[in-house]
Amino acid sequence: MRTTILAAALTLQAAQPAHTNTTITAVPGIKVGHFTLAERPTGCTVILIDGDAVGGVSQRGGAPGTRETDLLNPLNMVDKVNAIVLAGGSAFGLEAATGTVRWLEEHNLGWPAGASRVPIVPAAVLFDLPVGGNPRIRPTAECGYKAAAAATSAPVDEGTVGAGAGATVGKFGGAGRSTKSGIGSAAIVLPNGLVVAAIVAVNAVGDIIDPSNGKVVAGVRNPDGTFADARKLVRAGGSSPSRAGENTTIGVVATNARLSKALAARMALMADDGYARAIAPSHTNGDGDTIFSLATGRWDGTADITIIGALAAEAVSDAVVRAATQATSVAGIPAARDLRR
Amino acid sequence: MKRPAIRKFLIALIAVAAACSHEAGTNDTLTSIGGVRVGHHTLAERPTGCTVVLFGGGANAAGLAQRGSAPGTRDTDLLRPTSAADRIDAVVLSGGSAFGLDTANGVMRWIDEHNGGLFSRGTDVPTVAAAVLIDLWVGGKPQIRPDADCGYRAAAAATTAPVAQGTVGAGAGATVGKMTGLDRAMKGGIGSAAVARAGGLRVGAIAAVNALGDVVDPQSGAVVAGARAEDGSPADVRKLLRTGAPLRRSSVGENTTIAVVVTNARLSKADANRVALMADDGISRSVVPAHTSADGDTVFAVATGAWNGVADVSVVGALAADVLAEAIVRAVRKATGAAGVPAASDRPRQ
Repeated sequence: MRTTILAAALTLQAAQPAHTNTTITAVPGIKVGHFTLAERPTGCTVILIDGDAVGGVSQRGGAPGTRETDLLNPLNMVDKVNAIVLAGGSAFGLEAATGTVRWLEEHNLGWPAGASRVPIVPAAVLFDLPVGGNPRIRPTAECGYKAAAAATSAPVDEGTVGAGAGATVGKFGGAGRSTKSGIGSAAIVLPNGLVVAAIVAVNAVGDIIDPSNGKVVAGVRNPDGTFADARKLVRAGGSSPSRAGENTTIGVVATNARLSKALAARMALMADDGYARAIAPSHTNGDGDTIFSLATGRWDGTADITIIGALAAEAVSDAVVRAATQATSVAGIPAARDLRR
Repeated sequence: MKRPAIRKFLIALIAVAAACSHEAGTNDTLTSIGGVRVGHHTLAERPTGCTVVLFGGGANAAGLAQRGSAPGTRDTDLLRPTSAADRIDAVVLSGGSAFGLDTANGVMRWIDEHNGGLFSRGTDVPTVAAAVLIDLWVGGKPQIRPDADCGYRAAAAATTAPVAQGTVGAGAGATVGKMTGLDRAMKGGIGSAAVARAGGLRVGAIAAVNALGDVVDPQSGAVVAGARAEDGSPADVRKLLRTGAPLRRSSVGENTTIAVVVTNARLSKADANRVALMADDGISRSVVPAHTSADGDTVFAVATGAWNGVADVSVVGALAADVLAEAIVRAVRKATGAAGVPAASDRPRQ
C-alpha cells in the first residue's frame, strides 16, 4: 500500500515538475533580467538570447519610441538579434540599450562585421515620467547593463518591476483614475515540444480586459474602487482622450520554432492581436504599442505559422492580464489586487 | 367586439406600431451615417455575390489596414497618407477570390453613368477600392463568381435603408471555423453595426466574414460560430490551439474577412489610416485566430466629414473597433445555412 502511494507520488512529481516555468524563460535559450531604479518607480527589462534568434516587430501604436526596428523589416539584411530591451523613461529610456550593447560586446556577442562583432539590440520604451515624482529620473545605460548582467533563465519576476515599475493603465477617464499595472509573462508549452511565450510591460491608455470572459481586470476607476469600463465611457462620450506621453504597451514574444525573418514578422503581427484582445482601446494615438518576436530555432519540429501566431496572440493576452493582476500599488496608484479587498 | 377580435386587433396594432418605429429611424447599420448607401447583389447560380458601399461624392478621407497574409485588393496603395488621392467614391466587397475584383469595374461604370455632375470635366475618374474573400469552394461550381455585372447591379441597388445582413451579397458564400476541416465549418455572412453618440458623432461598420478562425463575442468570450467537433458542437479553437490538438493545415484558398468602417467625423488622411488600424482590432477581438497566413483580412476606413464637431482620432478608432466587432458577430448570427454549411441560427438558442 505504502509503495503504491509512493509510486503514485513519484509519477505525479515526474509529470508535474515542482517549479513549472510559465514565463518567457520557458523558451530554451531565453534569459530575462530586470533592473528597477530606487529613486523613482521606473526601470528596464532585458530579454537576452543565448546566442542569437531571428527577429521581427509589429509597431502599430501612434506614439512609439523605438530603436533598431527598421533593421527588423524582412527586406533588410540582418536577420538575427542578440537582445531586446524594454524600458521606462520615454525616449530617454532608449539609452538603456546602449548599456546592453556594452554588456554583449564584453561577452563577444553580436553580428559578425569584419574583425568585430556588433550586438543587435532592438528596444522600445514606455512613457512613465509623471509617475512617482522626479521625471528627470529615468533608466540609463547603466540600467541596461545591470539588467543584462542580471539575466537568468529562472521564471520571470512579474508586477511592479523592471520596465513595468512605473506602468499604469486606465487613463481614458482622465487624471487620477488610473490603476497600477506592471510587467507580466506567460508561456504555452505543447506536448510536441513547441513553446510560445510572451513578456509585456503594460502602460496602456485603455483598460485591461480578460478576453476569456470580457471582464475588466484593471482600468479607469470609479470613486468607490470599482471599474468604470473604458468601452462604456467611449460609447457614452464621457471620456477625455489621453495624450501622447503617458502610455504605451511594449513586449516580446518568443518561440523555439525555426522561422524565416518574414515569418517572424508575421508572428509579431499576429501576436499584436493579443494587445487588441486584452486592452481596450488599444493602438491609440496616445500609445506607442510595439511587440517584438524572436524565433530561436532550437526545436526540430515543424509548426504552421498560423498556429505559432495564434499561440503568440494567446500568450500576449495572458501576459497582459498577468501584468495587471501581478502589479502592486506604488506612488499612490492602487493596483487591481489592492482594489479587490 | 368579441374578445378574440379585440386580441387580433391589438396584435395588429402592436405590429403596425413596431413597423413604424422601425422605419422611424432605428437604423443601427452602416447606412445610419449620412450620405452612405449600401447595395448587395447575390448570384443565383452559386452562393456568392458582392456588396457596394457608395459615398455621396465630394471630399472625404480614406485609409486602410491590410494585415491578413493572403489579400486580394484593388486601389489600396492610393489610400496611403503619402499618396495624393483625397476622395473615395465607393468600396466594393466581393466573393470570388481575385476574380471578384472584376466587380469594381462595374461599379466604376455605374458611377461614371450616374455622377455626370461630379465627373463632368472628363478628366476626373471615380476612385473605387475593393477587397475580395475566397468562397470558390462553397456550393460546387467555382467558375461562378461575381463579375462587373454584379458590381453594377449592387451599385444600382444601393440605398440608405438598413443594411440587409446574413447570407447575402459578399457574405453569401462566406464561412467561418475551418480549423477542424471544411466539413465542420459554419456559415459566415455579412453584418453591419453603428453607434451614434450624443453630440452627433457616428461610426458604423460593415463586414463580410469568411475567417479561417472562430467568431467570438468579445463581450462574453463565448464562441458564436466556428469550428465544430465531430458531434457538431462548437470545438473552440482557442482550447484546441492551447492543448496542441491536431488542426488542419490552413489553405489560402478558403478564407478572409473584409470590412468598411465609416465615420461622419472630419479626419485627415493620416487619421483615417489610424482609424482603419484601430478598427482592425475589432477583427482581432471577434475572430480567433485572425490575420493568419490563410486570411487576407483588410479594413477600409472612410471619414465623410459631414459632422462639424471635433472628435479625437483615438475615440473614433476605439468606436470603429467596437462596431466592427459587433458587425462581425452579427454577420454570423444573422447568417442562414447554404450549400450544406450550417449557420448559428440553425441551432436553437441556448
